[in-house]
Amino acid sequence: MNAPLLAIRGLRASYGKIEALKGVDLDIAAGEIVTLIGANGAGKSTLMMTIFGKPRARAGRIVYDGRDITSVPTHHIARMRIAQSPEGRRIFPRMSVAENLQMGADATDGTPAERAASLDKVVTLFPRLKERMTQRGGTLSGGEQQMLAIGRALMSRPRLLMLDEPSLGLAPLIAKQIFDAIRVLNRQDGLTVLIVEQNANHALRLAHRGYVMVNGLITLSGTGAELLKRPEIRAAYLEGGRQTDAPAAG
Amino acid sequence: MDTALPDMPSTSRKIDIAFILKKSLVSALVALVLFSLMIGIRTEAGPSGQLTYWTRFGDLAMMVVAVFAGSIVIEWLRHWWGPVETIRVVPPMAEKALSLAGRLVAPALLAFTFLVPVIFYDQRYILDLGILVLTYVMLGWGLNVVVGLAGLLDLGYVAFYAVGAYSYALLATNFGLSFWICLPLAGILAAFFGVLLGFPVLRLRGDYLAIVTLAFGEIIRLVIINWQSFTGGPNGVSGIPRPSLFGIPMTAADDGFAARLGIEFSPTHRIVLLFYLILALALLTNWVTIRLRRLPIGRAWEALREDEVACRALGINTTTTKLTAFATGAMFGGFAGAFFATRQGFISPESFTFHESALVLAIVVLGGMGSQLGVALAALAMIGGFELFRGLEQFRMLVFGGAMVLLMIWRPRGLIGHRAPTVFLKDNRAISSDLVKEGR
Repeated sequence: MNAPLLAIRGLRASYGKIEALKGVDLDIAAGEIVTLIGANGAGKSTLMMTIFGKPRARAGRIVYDGRDITSVPTHHIARMRIAQSPEGRRIFPRMSVAENLQMGADATDGTPAERAASLDKVVTLFPRLKERMTQRGGTLSGGEQQMLAIGRALMSRPRLLMLDEPSLGLAPLIAKQIFDAIRVLNRQDGLTVLIVEQNANHALRLAHRGYVMVNGLITLSGTGAELLKRPEIRAAYLEGGRQTDAPAAG
Repeated sequence: MDTALPDMPSTSRKIDIAFILKKSLVSALVALVLFSLMIGIRTEAGPSGQLTYWTRFGDLAMMVVAVFAGSIVIEWLRHWWGPVETIRVVPPMAEKALSLAGRLVAPALLAFTFLVPVIFYDQRYILDLGILVLTYVMLGWGLNVVVGLAGLLDLGYVAFYAVGAYSYALLATNFGLSFWICLPLAGILAAFFGVLLGFPVLRLRGDYLAIVTLAFGEIIRLVIINWQSFTGGPNGVSGIPRPSLFGIPMTAADDGFAARLGIEFSPTHRIVLLFYLILALALLTNWVTIRLRRLPIGRAWEALREDEVACRALGINTTTTKLTAFATGAMFGGFAGAFFATRQGFISPESFTFHESALVLAIVVLGGMGSQLGVALAALAMIGGFELFRGLEQFRMLVFGGAMVLLMIWRPRGLIGHRAPTVFLKDNRAISSDLVKEGR
């Protein structure tokens, strides 16, 4: 295997005195879908934000594509073709869908042709957005807002896409659509994806590999199928160990 | 409950008399409690200093009855005008005509503004009022960049107005620089002060930002008052040169404007020049703002207003975005300030109190944050209205406060509450604010 696209070693980060990450190691190879699961407050979102430099890492290293980005300014990291769909979607409610998408491309140095191609890709992936182009972001339904958030992230033509709880607050059918879209992106374009999820069942089935995070530390890792079979995962993250249909690797 | 059959037009509304009476009785009761001491009992110091009091139950009863009757009327009106479940269907013809009229408002207003000095050439008062209104239109458009677009609540905008005014006044009186050289300098200096304010408040938002900007406005004013040797302190700066028409003075002298054209000198020429000068400055502000909104920087301002975290995740440099918003807004404030100084010929710290900041902010908010036409209409209504109601004397502020409260009830997003999208795919459609829930 080549060197991973993203390699994190001994990462520590804290909010004031509260240490949220206590030495995290994580690898993402190019073309992989990696899922990070964990309970509320385990530090999953913090890990994603720390990769983006907000908050800054107290210790450890983040290496992306062979380059140490631990102390690179946030707005530069976004230009290195790492895109993020932050927790809670955070679309721009009073700007139109088209403007929201444009914002995703504004800070990158793509040519107009590349932007048009990105836009094409986004509307092919989420045809619903095409119908809503002139509508304000705030008028979209939750699922459409999630599509917009992912679409906005894709506008920067990322190599690594990080999604924070893409299924949060969505009806199961819509969540499935979102996960299907992520799978398509990965299969067709070889996009590398990091998904932070509490919806462990869905996310682990989709993922090539998964990590489990507890109290700021990675406690378990393995392929999606392996993790789904482990009794402690089933007990902790899959609705109290209730039997679900047989897990199949994504 | 509503028992109307589904096929019946549900436009007929039933008036719930019991409900109205109940509400009015509650209002009357509150009035009774409040007024029993305020009106019911009158106290006064007696002839030898002791407290005397007497009762005025008649007045009290009249007051309570008035409140009762008033609430019945208000409740009844609310019943008629309040929200209904039926959808008001406007005939498409009327809708088309309305949207056409809406599109024509701005060009018509602009054309009229251009003609004001021609139509009202003999009426100095109207011309002066026009200049005043246009000054506030420009200030409103300048502040709109900071508050309406970037969403940074700035209560100290007058500071930049003051910086612009003093820049011109001091440069002109000390170094004899002409207005046309000082104008860009005033803008640059004000922009510099905008960045100066921007740095410490980069991490602040909302209320906290408002407090710091408010303080900044006061600091600038106090510095001007106390730095006597430089600014003249409370005495201000006088003898500020009047503007020339690119070097041609507007005086009765031999090389003056009138003499060169071979027409009779009139002081009105200068007023007309001032009018077109501020009109040009205001239109420049408007044009720049419209252009910037279509560029990534303008879009970044708006995105910053909506969600700072998302902006950062998208690779927007929030520091420079905020600083450019402050600097751009301040620059226009500085231009307006330089104009103010040359128009007045005399400036003092009294012209740059918090009252001005509040007035400009009120114009932006009433106009509908972010709407250029709305800001212009609000400036016209506020400043023009101020003059219109001059006859009401001490009740002027009361009428004004009432009008503002009513406006905020009926049009909570300001006069023009929609924003035109800046990225188009096929057709350019404005999005009505009624369809949208409040951001954030």
